[in-house]
Amino acid sequence: MAQGKRPFINDKKAPDSRHDLDVIQQHVKDTLPAARRATVCIDLGDGTGSGVVVSPEGLILSAAHVTSGVGKEFTVIFEDGRKLKAESLGLVASTDCAMARIIEPGTYPFIELDRDDTAKLGDWVYALGHSGGFDKERGIVVRIGRLVQMKDSTVQSDCSLIGGDSGGPLFDLNGHLIAIHSRVGSRTPENMHVPVREFLKNWDGLTKAEFIGEGPFAKKPEKGKGFLGLGTKDRPGGGLDIEKVGRESPAEKAGMKAGDILLKMDGTELKSKEQLQDLLKEKAPDDRVALELLRNGKPETLTLRLGER
Amino acid sequence: MNAKRSISAALLVIAGSVGGAQTLETTFRTNGQTVQSAFEPVRTVLQDCSAVIQRERMKELGGGKKIAVYDDLSYGTVMSADGVILTKASELGEGEGLTVRVGTKTFKGAAILAVDPIWDVALVKIDATGLTPVKLATDSPDPERGTWVVANGATTKLKRLPQVGMISASAREISPGGGVMGISLTEKDKRLVVEDVGEESGAAEAGIKAGDILLAVGGQEVTDLEALTKLIERRRVGEEVEVSIERKDEKLTLDVKLGEELTRNDSMSGNFSERRNGFPRVIQHDIIANNSTVGGPVLDLDGRCLGMNIARANRCETFAIPAGDLRSLTDRLMTQAGVK
Repeated sequence: MAQGKRPFINDKKAPDSRHDLDVIQQHVKDTLPAARRATVCIDLGDGTGSGVVVSPEGLILSAAHVTSGVGKEFTVIFEDGRKLKAESLGLVASTDCAMARIIEPGTYPFIELDRDDTAKLGDWVYALGHSGGFDKERGIVVRIGRLVQMKDSTVQSDCSLIGGDSGGPLFDLNGHLIAIHSRVGSRTPENMHVPVREFLKNWDGLTKAEFIGEGPFAKKPEKGKGFLGLGTKDRPGGGLDIEKVGRESPAEKAGMKAGDILLKMDGTELKSKEQLQDLLKEKAPDDRVALELLRNGKPETLTLRLGER
Repeated sequence: MNAKRSISAALLVIAGSVGGAQTLETTFRTNGQTVQSAFEPVRTVLQDCSAVIQRERMKELGGGKKIAVYDDLSYGTVMSADGVILTKASELGEGEGLTVRVGTKTFKGAAILAVDPIWDVALVKIDATGLTPVKLATDSPDPERGTWVVANGATTKLKRLPQVGMISASAREISPGGGVMGISLTEKDKRLVVEDVGEESGAAEAGIKAGDILLAVGGQEVTDLEALTKLIERRRVGEEVEVSIERKDEKLTLDVKLGEELTRNDSMSGNFSERRNGFPRVIQHDIIANNSTVGGPVLDLDGRCLGMNIARANRCETFAIPAGDLRSLTDRLMTQAGVK
C-alpha cells in the first residue's frame, strides 16, 4: 500500500523557519478534506463520541468506552449531516480499542491506516472529532499537535481533546490514521490515544465482534442481567399468554403486545413461566434472542436484543 | 471522556513505573519555547498590536506600607495609533483603575468610552500617539481549517509571549445559551413549588429556598412548568429576572441572575470565559487560553489580524470575532465614543 513519503519536517527537532511552518500547514490543509469526510459522530442516544471509517464498506474504528459493548446499535453522522445506522463489533477492554460497522449497504469515504507503524515521537499530527457532539454549523474540530510520549498501548499528543472527541482519529501529516482518541490528563496539553497497532494486533477478534480482554474501558455483560420486559402467564396446552409489556422495554420496542401468545424462545418450546425465566438467566444484556409468537392466530417471529436489568 | 480522567491517571502511574516511555522534551512541544521561536516574526507584530488590560490596586505590606500591584483582567487589540483599544467587556468589572500595557509602555487612566453588549466588546481609550494598530485581514475570506494562528499567550512587563495553534472549525454564529435559575420545581395543585436550589446558582444567591412557591417571573404569572420554561429560555445567561415567590404566606420579589447549565465538558475546561455565547459570528481556533487571556488579536503567519479573541469556550475551543466584523464593530464603537 502506498504510504506516502515521510515529511522531512518530522525529522527536524523543531520548525525553525517560515518555510517549515508553511510545510506543516500545507500538509494539514492538503490531507484534511479526506480525513474530514471519513470522520463520524457516534450518536448513542444518551451521549456522543467520534469514530473514523477505514473501509469502503463502512468499517469504523472508535474507542471501547464509546461503543461500550458488542452488538450495540447506534447512529453515525458524517460531517455533511448524513445519518446512518451502525452496530458495534468487537472491542478490547484493556486498551480502549473498538470496531463498528455501518449496517446500511453503501460505499463510504474512508481513510488509510498507518499500517507500517511509522509514527515516531515528535511527529506532527492533528486530531479530528465532533467535540461535545455533532454541530452542523461548526463541523469537525481540528487540533494541531505533536506526539509527545510513546508507550506500548498509548501515544500522547498535545492536541487538546474534550468529551465527544473520544473514539475520533489522530492523523499524521500524510492523512493516515495513527491512533484513536481515548482519554485526557488534567492539563490541557495531555491527551491520550490508542495507536493503530493495537487495533491491528486484535483485528480478527474485532471484526468477529469479540469482547477482548478485561479492563477499565468496557464492562463485560453479565449473565442473568438480560432484560426482556414481559409479564406472562402459563397457558394450558403450551405457550405463554403475554399479560403485560413493560414501557420502554426491549419487548415493547420490538413490537410485542399484551394478548400475544409466546410460543418459542431461540427455538425452544415454552411450557411455563419458570422455564422462560431459566432461559433468560443464561442471557446477558445485548444478547440477541429469537421469539416466536401468535398474534390474532397468526405466527410471527421477532428477534430483539435484551436490555439490562 | 471526563469520566475516564481518574482512570487515566491510574494508568499513567502504572505505565510510568514500568518505564520504557519515550517523552518529547517540553521545549519541542507545540507550545514549547523552541517551536514558538519559529513564530518570532509574528511575535514581534504581536508585541506592538496587542495590549494587556490590568487593574491597579494597592496592596498592604504591613507597617503602613503599600505597593501598587496589577491584576491582569484581559488582553486587548490596538485599533488606532492614538490609543483606541478593544477588549472583552465582561472581564473588566467596574471601570475604575484601568491600566493598559502596549509594547514596553504602561498607560494609566484608561477610560471605557463605549461598550457593545452583543459582541461583549469594550472600547478603551488611552492617551497615546504613534501606536501600531493591527492590520485587519478584511480582504480575505474566512480563514480555513489548518491555518496557523498566533495570539498573546502570556506576558511579562516588557514582552508579549506567543501561543500558537490552528483555525479549527467553520465560521458561524454562536447562539445565546438559554439561562437557568438553578432550581428544580414540582407542580402541586396548580402551583410551582421549589424542590431544590442549586449550590452557587443565581437562585441561591438571590435567596430562594426549597419550599418557596413560585408566583411570577418577569412580571408574568406562572402556574406550570411549560409556561416557566417558555419565559426563561428566551433570556440570556447573565440576565437578571424579577421573580415573585410566596414563603409562609409572605410575598417576596427577588432579582435572580440567570446562570448557565454546566456540563461535564465544562468541568474539565479550566477557567473558560463566563460570557462565551451569543456572538453574531466567530472564527474558531485551538490556541489554549483562559478567561483573562482573551481580547487580543489573532494573527496569521504574515502578521495580519484574522480576528480578536472573544471567548475561551472550553478545553479545546477558542472563539474570535472575524476581521470583517471587527472592522465594522470598531467603526460603530468609535462613533458611539466620539473618537475619530
